[in-house]
Amino acid sequence: MSNVLIIGEIDGTEIKNISQQVAAVAAGMGEVTGLVMGSGISEAGMKLAAGKIIMADDSSLENYDPVKYASIASHVAKENDIQTILLGATSMGKDLGPRVAAELNCGYLGDCLEASSEGFVRPNFAGKVLAKSKPSGTVVATIRNNAYPAGEAWSGSVENYSGSITDSTLNTTDVENVGSGTVELTEAAIVVSGGRGLENAENYDSMIRPLAESMGAAAGASRAIVDAGWVSHSHQVGQTGKTVAPELYLAIGISGAIQHLGGMSGSKCIAAINKDPDAPIFKVADYGIVGDLFEILPILKSKF
Amino acid sequence: MNIAVLIKMVPDTESKLEVNAGELSDQNFKYMVNPYDEFAVEQAVQFKEAEGGKVTLLSLFSEDNSIDTDLRKMLAIGADEIIVLRQNGYKGDKPLANAKILSDAIKELNVDLVLCGIQGIDYYQAATGTMVAQMLNMPNISGVTSLEYNAGILKAKRQIEGGLQTVETATPAVVTCQKDMNKVRFPALKDIMMSKRKPFENKNVENIDSNDISTSESSLPPARDGGEIIEGETTEEKVDKLIEKLKMEAKVI
Ligand SMILES: Cc1cc2nc3c(=O)[nH]c(=O)nc-3n(C[C@H](O)[C@H](O)[C@H](O)COP(=O)(O)OP(=O)(O)OC[C@H]3O[C@@H](n4cnc5c(N)ncnc54)[C@H](O)[C@@H]3O)c2cc1C
Repeated sequence: MSNVLIIGEIDGTEIKNISQQVAAVAAGMGEVTGLVMGSGISEAGMKLAAGKIIMADDSSLENYDPVKYASIASHVAKENDIQTILLGATSMGKDLGPRVAAELNCGYLGDCLEASSEGFVRPNFAGKVLAKSKPSGTVVATIRNNAYPAGEAWSGSVENYSGSITDSTLNTTDVENVGSGTVELTEAAIVVSGGRGLENAENYDSMIRPLAESMGAAAGASRAIVDAGWVSHSHQVGQTGKTVAPELYLAIGISGAIQHLGGMSGSKCIAAINKDPDAPIFKVADYGIVGDLFEILPILKSKF
Repeated sequence: MNIAVLIKMVPDTESKLEVNAGELSDQNFKYMVNPYDEFAVEQAVQFKEAEGGKVTLLSLFSEDNSIDTDLRKMLAIGADEIIVLRQNGYKGDKPLANAKILSDAIKELNVDLVLCGIQGIDYYQAATGTMVAQMLNMPNISGVTSLEYNAGILKAKRQIEGGLQTVETATPAVVTCQKDMNKVRFPALKDIMMSKRKPFENKNVENIDSNDISTSESSLPPARDGGEIIEGETTEEKVDKLIEKLKMEAKVI
């Protein structure tokens, strides 16, 4: 058994679901200490599923700052004799994790699909190769969203962080919400993605976005249409875009190039609509409809 | 403004991935410039054009020089020089060791800004840039989709869940580049010709011990079988069957 530190993330008055997933993973690995950083976080921070929670609550921590956050996390890790540090593989976790590892001079494993006291599994080559490892020393790891069920909120003992907070030149001046639809791509249970088969940006906006919205899904895209400027890169799924693993991935007018498959082949169920029966997407799809998307989508939309 | 751009040479996306006895074979890899790093080069050149200064490309790789032609293309975009750190037995999956070697090399350059791609499309650790920042005692901003520089202050927008965070910092700093950042130019013939005369230096570096975690076993994920093509008389019937299957069989909606 080892001493595990989990770094929780806050969303308003709640602990992020991904952090509770990480907490559940940690619970199977040893004695769990939670660390939550931010400003005005005491109510949400309490909900982290850990036996002991360390709260670094300070107005200077309101926005994520890698310099400050990494110094606090490293300090807490040393004070508490931590061997394993776990974070969610979020925009914060993936940035903070390596910095903490460098500060502690220890190993780092990013975006793990599996994590337990038996070892870790992480994807290489956009998931085309799986790499297993069994760290013997201290390790920092980020855990991919949806890899594990979330732990239940419960409050352990709470302690306030008493160490210093490093100065940083970083200054967050704005946080704007641009969203891909309403649901974040990497967190969505359903992803509806469109490709070049849609022919133009207007069709993406009038067919993919409304379908995604009525299915409670996030809207994704192939690189071809990102490069064409129909949608921003934040929508791109694939080897040079986001990796998603939703319950359902619906690929519409997407051929299924190997670089696209790299970002979505971990989905639980894949369904594809394409007019070409030989499109490679059908080789990975659980269900496919061969046909014209302009005929199929209006009918599909009418069912939700 | 003097800028260092870190470039990782990665197996190209068509490379066949073979695993023998739990080990990934790199025998038949052909290498290319990591696509995210190209955005870093373009950004560095744009800053140089606006502010003056020098753009140095820094790459850590093995002694294999089949990569040189591809790497030189980055000079045609407008960078001034390349330093390739040649390491016998180089491995792309040792972020801690590689970041240490890179940050030591950067210390000798006296730069205001370090740019690199958000991640390598080989091992996807997204770690090197951030680790380099820590080792150089600089702030880091990662996953940046737009970057401006004005009188010593960098203003970056980085992708976060559902939105963008705008972060400002004084230089020096490390910024890792996300795809939307810019459009990488196609060099003109004259720039390609000129790039052949730009400095391309090879420097040997030693292997160093590190706490990087080695892979004990690689495997290929189970192949997904092609599933069922849904048949039906009409489109309506096919759509109904699809929804039925997603609900009842796959239980995903
Ligand atoms: C280094 C590198 C990295 C890359 N990274 C990525 C990445 O991250 N993500 C990514 O997606 N790609 C990536 N690519 C690009 C990838 O190789 C493909 O070019 C891209 O995925 C193709 O997009 P697409 O499927 O939308 O377009 P196409 O391949 O053009 O496919 C369009 C599909 O739509 C179908 N279609 C057309 N009209 C209709 C209709 N009326 N009804 C139904 N179907 C129709 C066609 O049959 C076709 O299958 C990368 C490439 C490289 C070299």
